[in-house]
Amino acid sequence: MRHRLLVSLVIAGTLLAINNLHAEEIKIGMLYPITGGGAIYGSPAQIGHRMGVEEINLDGGLLGLQAISVERDTKLNPATAAAAAKEMITKDGVHVLIGGLSSSVGLAVSEVARQEKVIYIATIAKTIQMTTNKRHNYVFRTASHTDFEGDAMAQIAEKLNAKSICDIQLDYAYGHDLAAGIEKGLARHLPDTKIVLSLRPKLRATDYNVFITQIMGAGCDVVTGGLWGPHFVDFAKQATPFGLFQQIKFIAGGEIGSHEIASTMGRDYPDNVWANSYELWYHHPNEEHKKFHSKLSAQLGTHETTMWPVLAVIGVRMYAAAVKQAGSLDPDLVAEALRGMSIDTPVGPRTIDPTTHQTDTGQFWGPMVKKEGAPYRVMDPITYIPALLSE
Amino acid sequence: MTDPIDRAGIILCLISLATLILIPAVGSNYLVDVTTEILIYSLFALSLNVIIGYSGNVSFGHAAYFAIGGYTNAILLTTYAWPLVASLLASITVTMFITGIVAYFCTRLTDIYFAMLTLAFSMLVWAIAFKWRSVTGGDDGFVGITIPEILDQRINFYYFTVLVVVFSTWILWLICHSAFARSLLAVRENPTRAGFVGINTRLMRWWAFVVAGTFAGLAGALFAMLHRGMYVESAFWTQSATVLIMTLLGGMFSFFGPAIGAATLFLLERITNEYTEYWPTVLGLILIVILLFLPDGLVGLVTKIRNYWTREH
Repeated sequence: MRHRLLVSLVIAGTLLAINNLHAEEIKIGMLYPITGGGAIYGSPAQIGHRMGVEEINLDGGLLGLQAISVERDTKLNPATAAAAAKEMITKDGVHVLIGGLSSSVGLAVSEVARQEKVIYIATIAKTIQMTTNKRHNYVFRTASHTDFEGDAMAQIAEKLNAKSICDIQLDYAYGHDLAAGIEKGLARHLPDTKIVLSLRPKLRATDYNVFITQIMGAGCDVVTGGLWGPHFVDFAKQATPFGLFQQIKFIAGGEIGSHEIASTMGRDYPDNVWANSYELWYHHPNEEHKKFHSKLSAQLGTHETTMWPVLAVIGVRMYAAAVKQAGSLDPDLVAEALRGMSIDTPVGPRTIDPTTHQTDTGQFWGPMVKKEGAPYRVMDPITYIPALLSE
Repeated sequence: MTDPIDRAGIILCLISLATLILIPAVGSNYLVDVTTEILIYSLFALSLNVIIGYSGNVSFGHAAYFAIGGYTNAILLTTYAWPLVASLLASITVTMFITGIVAYFCTRLTDIYFAMLTLAFSMLVWAIAFKWRSVTGGDDGFVGITIPEILDQRINFYYFTVLVVVFSTWILWLICHSAFARSLLAVRENPTRAGFVGINTRLMRWWAFVVAGTFAGLAGALFAMLHRGMYVESAFWTQSATVLIMTLLGGMFSFFGPAIGAATLFLLERITNEYTEYWPTVLGLILIVILLFLPDGLVGLVTKIRNYWTREH
């Protein structure tokens, strides 16, 4: 009788354990703006995030558990993002936070991750602070940062043999940090070249006429700018009639070489622009990119695809690789695994620096040219500038 | 509006207080976080109602004082490593001082001109917070606020917030049920007649503005500590609009109405965001319903139902 009871208890316990194992899931938290002004970047990133989670499950899950995506809209507001991050941790029990578009949202989510001791992987936010003075045990970044971008812009300026530079940056965190990154880059690559004019139009500015005339009168041969998204579109439309792009070469950071900007501007995209992008649908740096592009293209229903999904996929893959290596969901063990973690991605291999927690994410750079058969201006030739602060 | 609280009200207050004390016993960190945030927004909304409900002016810039309190507390605690009590008192004093200056100009105007000037001042505060990057962190926000170790524990901070908010609500209650509040109501109902009976209407409105701004500053200071960060968005006009809707939703002709509105709107937003991305649409619908069918807010609705029930039985 006692023996039968013991066997029954063992069976019941095993069934309960199996049941619990099936009930438990790995919850991958996603934080992107999916409404409002940031949605044009956040919604494609959301697609990428889901693709990353799907990849994990197709691969048999993590530690034998299925992954699910828990998603929140940050509305591009740091206070909203911080509250959402806390809610995802305390209510939904997410194991990791991935995402964050703007620098302020990235820093706010990072602060929550620090308090709650949960891993946060920043996939888009570029502020240098996240991996320098605001770095902590649980924050990692797979995006590039302003020092890398500034250094790449200085390298292009060196190629273009720039003698004097006009710098135009938006008057907020990213603009200020990128300006500092360019200065550091110039000190490395073109120490004799001077920035003769620094301009700071305000964020969401639409009228650039006063800045355009200042640039044209300053006598610079190269302009460096971090006017991302609609800022560059407005600037270019207003500067073209003045002949600015015929007289001065423009090195544009802020992913102005991406599909989003090139397709939006179409015929209005100016000459003499050297721009960057994290990913280009028409450029396959490896075999995996072809497959990734086909899959994304099928999901979006267009042959031309945006670059934001790949950033989100990289964030999810990095976490999955770390969990596999750690063999645990414990944030401290996963953080340990993330330090120095290397993975393959559709845009090449990526490694996290064990000290700074920053991934060596470089970008594709090149002049934007008209090309036979291309629907809009494309980058050609394409150069991958790695994330190295070379001397 | 200035009637003393009845027996049922006292019982309700005691039940609410007991509930607040017992919430951590449930063992849910989420519940503790949500309640902490609701308490802070309740204080923010209650403060705005001193201007709207009592002095009869609409402010479109109340977020400015919330942000001033928040940034002052953040800077003093973190940059200058002040002790908490000194930092909180200084935050209240700084907000009171700045509100006094703003109120001096705003109370010279009435109606839409008053509302527009409050908006203009709040955007000025926003612009300063945005541009003064070396002090406020600008667009990046002031992240990583240092708070005393004892308050670093979630439950401790919760009880600290309960203590501050309950005490502040009690002070606001005393103010809103004093002779000063009766004078304010007279100014709200008929400023000309109030002036004739010897009430300095502008001074009364100035005081109402200062009281409202000061308590908003205290709410901001708590908010900064809760999130360990303060952001320029907290000074933006949309934040002023949110607290205005909270006040209208709960009912501006009731002392506790704005707190009920704050809790309702906050929870509605959280729940809606879990199921759909269309919170702005839901918010728009709420606003339409309030303006068309619930001019006295949720408290007004409950009163109407109670009156109807009493008549029927």
